[in-house]
Amino acid sequence: MQKFSSRSFNNARLDLFYGLVMIVFAIFIVRLFYIQVIQHRYYANAALSGQYKEYEIPAERGIIVAHDGDTTVPIVLNEDKFTLFADPKYVKEPGKTAEDLVKITGGNKSEYEDKMKQKNRYAVLAKKLDESQSEQIKKLELKGIGLRTESIRTYPQGTLAAQILGFVNDEGKGTYGVEQALDSQLKGKAGELKAITDVRGVPLAANGDNVRKEAVQGKQTTLTIDLGMQRKVEDLLKDHLPAVRSSSGSVIVMDVNTGAVRAMANFPTYNPSEFYKVNDANVFNNAAVSSPLEVGSVMKTLTVAAGMNENVINANTTYADPGQWKIDDATVKNVEEDGGAATRSTPDILRYSLNTGATWVLMQLGGGKINEQGRNKWYDYLVNHYRFGQKTGIEQGYEAEGYVPGPNDGYGLNIQYANTTFGQGINITPIQFAAAFSATINGGKYYKPHLVEPDNGKPTVVNDATVRSEISEQMRAMHENSVAKNYTFLKRPGYHIGGKTGTAEITKPGGGYYDDRYNGTFVGYVGGDKPEYVIMVRINEPHVPGYAGTKAAAPLFAKVTDMLINNFSIQPSQ
Amino acid sequence: MTYSSSLSMGRRRFATRHQNVVNWGEQTRALGPVSNTVILVVLSCLLGLLYLTQVTKTNASGYKVDGYEKQYSQLQKEHDELQLSSARLQSLDRVADSKPAKELVSVAPSATVR
Repeated sequence: MQKFSSRSFNNARLDLFYGLVMIVFAIFIVRLFYIQVIQHRYYANAALSGQYKEYEIPAERGIIVAHDGDTTVPIVLNEDKFTLFADPKYVKEPGKTAEDLVKITGGNKSEYEDKMKQKNRYAVLAKKLDESQSEQIKKLELKGIGLRTESIRTYPQGTLAAQILGFVNDEGKGTYGVEQALDSQLKGKAGELKAITDVRGVPLAANGDNVRKEAVQGKQTTLTIDLGMQRKVEDLLKDHLPAVRSSSGSVIVMDVNTGAVRAMANFPTYNPSEFYKVNDANVFNNAAVSSPLEVGSVMKTLTVAAGMNENVINANTTYADPGQWKIDDATVKNVEEDGGAATRSTPDILRYSLNTGATWVLMQLGGGKINEQGRNKWYDYLVNHYRFGQKTGIEQGYEAEGYVPGPNDGYGLNIQYANTTFGQGINITPIQFAAAFSATINGGKYYKPHLVEPDNGKPTVVNDATVRSEISEQMRAMHENSVAKNYTFLKRPGYHIGGKTGTAEITKPGGGYYDDRYNGTFVGYVGGDKPEYVIMVRINEPHVPGYAGTKAAAPLFAKVTDMLINNFSIQPSQ
Repeated sequence: MTYSSSLSMGRRRFATRHQNVVNWGEQTRALGPVSNTVILVVLSCLLGLLYLTQVTKTNASGYKVDGYEKQYSQLQKEHDELQLSSARLQSLDRVADSKPAKELVSVAPSATVR
């Protein structure tokens, strides 16, 4: 009986234990059901947020290369630099940390310390640190101090072609020059990676939902400039300016038969790698494309070409030049000493730089007087043949359009239009003028001026009938005649050299012209059997006795011509 | 009960009405439900194992790819640095300022080739 009671008690304990186990299981099952079924979305998202990562795959900015003789060399590259930052929350000893850092970065200790005591969580201490500095900082293992890698643009040639290139600002945006004009194609397009990763952030390849979109790298760009020529032209300009007591100027050397710019120099200049050190932002401008001016008498080359192309004059035409014309309330006079009343020929207009001669050509376009017909015809040449008043499309930031007065608007139209025939009252950039002049001497083709080699290797012909080819030939003969008779110092035996000076008055801000301030210009060409290079020179406000075009711009043209003959294989004519 | 009737009773013990005592049809051998379940479980385990090995293998390949990508980036970086150094060393300013360039002397031409 006693034995039976003991077994019964044991069974009861077993039942109780069994019951407890069942209750625990039941709790587990209920809890698991709650977590896995009811709270499924919450926990799935929580897990995903820890494992799922999105990365940006940065695109490398395209490098820029330029010609160096027969090869090309990189002149703009990318370099990894480091930004040093602090998270003040984790910096325990700002004084000691700052002291350690300035030994490497060369910064200001108190400035670092102040930044590390700020309340925000991100304080930039130094920028553009190099690899060795970053390694030294990493070795210090300072708490709250970090380094961020940044790809920055670097220009190993220093100041060479600075205004052509432009620079990339701190926001990574191309600014000025080619960097601005071709920013979208140079910067490429960043890719992205969305993936489930392990604890170290390495994407797990087995996840079928990973998304990887490769970055489109920036396009490599080849400039048309020749580095050796560019350096020589820059040096010549820099050395020439003090001699003519001018502070600024530009020179363009353009291939007559393609429109490719081989050299384009401006002074003053700067180093694009250190753009932040420049105080005067005007230095960033490529004046040869962004600073229009009244070009002065070089314009007569185009006026004569237009008159001949319209068959209103020819190379042998003579006329009675009164030495001055009364137009509206103004008088057009010649500035050259030998520009008095005489019987003149078409070549004389260029040889003696006759304002009255250029005005006479405008009269011929109007049938004998300056009128609407003449103005319209001349306007057609300015805008449609020579393409002034519009951007050339050269690959440069901030290219200027210039200004061409309308043929039928405004007061004093006739005198205004007379002025345009000798390069006053009209604003043209040097690149616009060089392109138009090329068209008048290369057989009549207006090539789009360019600084970047075209993808198909072929230059773009914008207008193949700027002037007829026979007119172009006659123009060359007249230019070479001017050199032979007037600018003998430009003559080089065996070479075809032609050109024209320009001395342009400078407008006052309130209207009218300064009496004693001029810009000097010269446009010309050099070649063996045929013209190869057009050279456009602009000297701003030189202080020399005589005419700015003759005394300041033409001598530089001669130096550039000699440099091209001596260094760039221009073969003398047979 | 006689002996023969007893034998007859014994033979009829398995016989029922309207049923042939002798089965002339072929006997089919089939697995029972327990065996089927066990086999299914084993197959599922094998499939699961296969899946796990493949996933592990793919992920291991992913690490390899990641390693190669890092190696490629490193080499690319080194290439870029070398290209930059080369460009700096060949920069016209540097070449012009170099010792050999400074030691160059101008020589007047002694004759003209015709």
